[in-house]
Amino acid sequence: MLTAIWETEGLQTVGIVVLVCASIKLLHLLGLINFSEDSVEDELELSAVRHRPEGLEQLEAQTRFSRKELQILYRGFKNECPSGVVNEDTFKDIYAQFFPQGDASTYAHFLFNAFDTDHNGSVSFEDFVMGLSILLRGTVQEKLNWAFNLYDINKDGYITKEEMLDIMKAIYDMMGKCTYPVLKEETPRQHVEIFFQKMDKNKDGVVTIDEFIDCCQNDENIMRSMHLFENVI
Amino acid sequence: MAAGVAAWLPFARAAAIGWMPVASAPMPVPPKDKRRAKDGLIVLNVSGTKFQTWRNTLERYPDTLLGSTERDFFYHEESNEYFFDRDPDIFRHILNFYRTGKLHYPRHECISAYDEELAFFGIIPEIIGDCCYEEYKDRRRENQERIQDDEEIDQSNDMVQQDMTFRESMWRAFENPHTSTMALVFYYVTGFFIAVSVLANVVETVPCGTAPNRVKEVSCGERYALAFFCLDTACVMIFTVEYLLRLLAAPSRYKFVKSVMSIIDVVAIMPYYIGLVMTDNEDVSGAFVTLRVFRVFRIFKFSRHSAGLRILGYTLKSCASELGFLLFSLTMAIIIFATVMFYAEKGSSGSKFTSIPAAFWYTIVTMTTLGYGDMVPKTIIGKIFGSICSLSGVLVIALPVPVIVSNFSRIYHQSQRAEKRRAQKKTRLARIRAVKSGGANAYLQYKRNGLLIDASKEAGQALVCKTNPTFDIQHHHLLHCLEKTTNHEFVDEKTYEESCMEVSMVKQTSRSSSISSSPHGLTCCSRRKRKSFNVPNSNMSVGLQGSVQELSTIQIRERPISNSRSSLNAKFEETVPLNCDQPYITAAVISMPTPPVTTPEGDESASSTDYSQANIVRVSAL
Repeated sequence: MLTAIWETEGLQTVGIVVLVCASIKLLHLLGLINFSEDSVEDELELSAVRHRPEGLEQLEAQTRFSRKELQILYRGFKNECPSGVVNEDTFKDIYAQFFPQGDASTYAHFLFNAFDTDHNGSVSFEDFVMGLSILLRGTVQEKLNWAFNLYDINKDGYITKEEMLDIMKAIYDMMGKCTYPVLKEETPRQHVEIFFQKMDKNKDGVVTIDEFIDCCQNDENIMRSMHLFENVI
Repeated sequence: MAAGVAAWLPFARAAAIGWMPVASAPMPVPPKDKRRAKDGLIVLNVSGTKFQTWRNTLERYPDTLLGSTERDFFYHEESNEYFFDRDPDIFRHILNFYRTGKLHYPRHECISAYDEELAFFGIIPEIIGDCCYEEYKDRRRENQERIQDDEEIDQSNDMVQQDMTFRESMWRAFENPHTSTMALVFYYVTGFFIAVSVLANVVETVPCGTAPNRVKEVSCGERYALAFFCLDTACVMIFTVEYLLRLLAAPSRYKFVKSVMSIIDVVAIMPYYIGLVMTDNEDVSGAFVTLRVFRVFRIFKFSRHSAGLRILGYTLKSCASELGFLLFSLTMAIIIFATVMFYAEKGSSGSKFTSIPAAFWYTIVTMTTLGYGDMVPKTIIGKIFGSICSLSGVLVIALPVPVIVSNFSRIYHQSQRAEKRRAQKKTRLARIRAVKSGGANAYLQYKRNGLLIDASKEAGQALVCKTNPTFDIQHHHLLHCLEKTTNHEFVDEKTYEESCMEVSMVKQTSRSSSISSSPHGLTCCSRRKRKSFNVPNSNMSVGLQGSVQELSTIQIRERPISNSRSSLNAKFEETVPLNCDQPYITAAVISMPTPPVTTPEGDESASSTDYSQANIVRVSAL
């Protein structure tokens, strides 16, 4: 008899407990109660970074572009990046549109680091225009310097085989899968070997800036190709 | 490639210097960069609204009108700008496309106007941005459906009876009962028999009083078994004949057999035949009785007669997923609550909740808020859960219902719109005909004026001639050339019909030049395609004056016309038979004003207002 009472009592208790838990869960679901302290989801909107470039005269002085050319460049730049700066993702997006068949994101990453000279994570118009000035209107020395800077991923003054391999892989990635002849796994590596054989004079496994510049200046092909894009703007 | 990105091409090319030192082969020669003209502003004048943009902006898309040399065709030297005679509001979006690389579709614009502008400027609509693409596609589909619908209805209405085979005409009669009286009769007869059959099924089961040697009441079906059997037989005969006829007439028999309506038909008449076959076997008579239930499906045959039923059917079909969800969630809830109630009420004595399935009944009754009261919980915990059950039942049922309702409303409105379009079609066509006849009236008026320019010296007429704009003059000259070319003349519909009638009469009876004003004679020509040459026949002009007035209101007073016409009469009468049999279809506007009335009615003002009406009307027609 007692057990019978306990049974019903027990069932009722269980029922009441279940009911209470369910209602608490329901209220939590409806957002009326909060359990944790930091449940407040502050929607911190990153205030839009707005950047205004230096005046036209200053840029004219610092770069080798004329006023008109700077105007054209800025209009294109601002059209694509209304906030005035390019962050890495946008940069990758833009660059990837030129190479639809492959994956340009790695190379774009390296390019971004090369353009972002002050390493603040974003490329402003000044950085952009300075980079272009060197690439299009600079001396061969400056261009080679820039290229060395691009290959030197950790900016320590030496290009190691690993860094070069990364760059090479990034370049080959841009080709995509459908190439002729078919891209093999060791193609980038072979290419790096060739490069190092050419550039590394003292065979110490790294390429310094002087070795690089010397070697490039002695190579006719490279010299010729440096003047290829002078009339781009 | 997006336009903005095109502006970064110089950057991408410059960055290619990074590949040079590692290149394994010499670089190709760069393309000859023809020295572009200095980037200047271009002024685009679109119907007075001036837009200005850089030349380079436009040249981002060289395969469009504005980006290529095609725009030179629109160059206006005097004002040194490019002039386009198009809609400036829509042009705004097109220019924005050049600027931002994204084409947007403004929701308030008409889809066909927008499409035309895009086609004019050479922009393919597939590049509409994602934000607007769905809307664009939806509107476009809707528009095409609408046009297609109208065309289909047009075609189906214009199809002449004798073009179709007997089978096709029968099928058409079945599908659309308004096409002929025979079809209508058939439609009503079948409807009547469906109703009779359903009623008989219902009345069969009503208790009809006691038989003399029985204690309990018998149903009417048992009492008047023979009568009901005869009625049933008659109905089933009709249904069978109808089904067979439909099967015969169907253009695709396989498709017809698979359709829902045919299945309903078969299910409705099967029980009778099965009953005929099986009456002697006692074992299956139980099953036979069950089969009689299917006779109630005859009521679904009404859906051919009622559009509302069809709409309901479509709605349920289109909401199948929502209904499925409703069912599924209800089942889940029923099982949960039934289990809970069973275990809650297990303890109480004499409880009706003997098993979980038994509790299903309680849960369903409670969730749908029926509450019969045959099973009630007695324990406190049972009552608590019972109340939760009824509350949640309300919610679960109320959720999918708005979806079903909105679906129904959408389908219903679509069918309403189709009906409205069909109704408006008639007035629309009448309006178009009026406009066209106005245009032709002007030509005839001009002709008569031209012919009369020597004869009549009425001041009003001369004035009217002088104020003819050059466009009209040239157009009239063109129509005149056409007349000369084909050696036929333009006349009005009435005279053509009259001549048609005469020809038919001539063929059957002796030649007579009198008119029979019986209206049914006109039907021989009224069925022809609307655009057809009409041949004048002045003999007919007297008499049928007032009749064909709904199309045009212009009365022409000149009497002497009949002279000119009669002179041409002889020539025409040879050609009349030709015309009547093969109606010519031309692009010229042809349906005609009323023939000259013999008695001059109306005043100067009437004719001049009519003429000015024709003027106004004409511009819109042409």
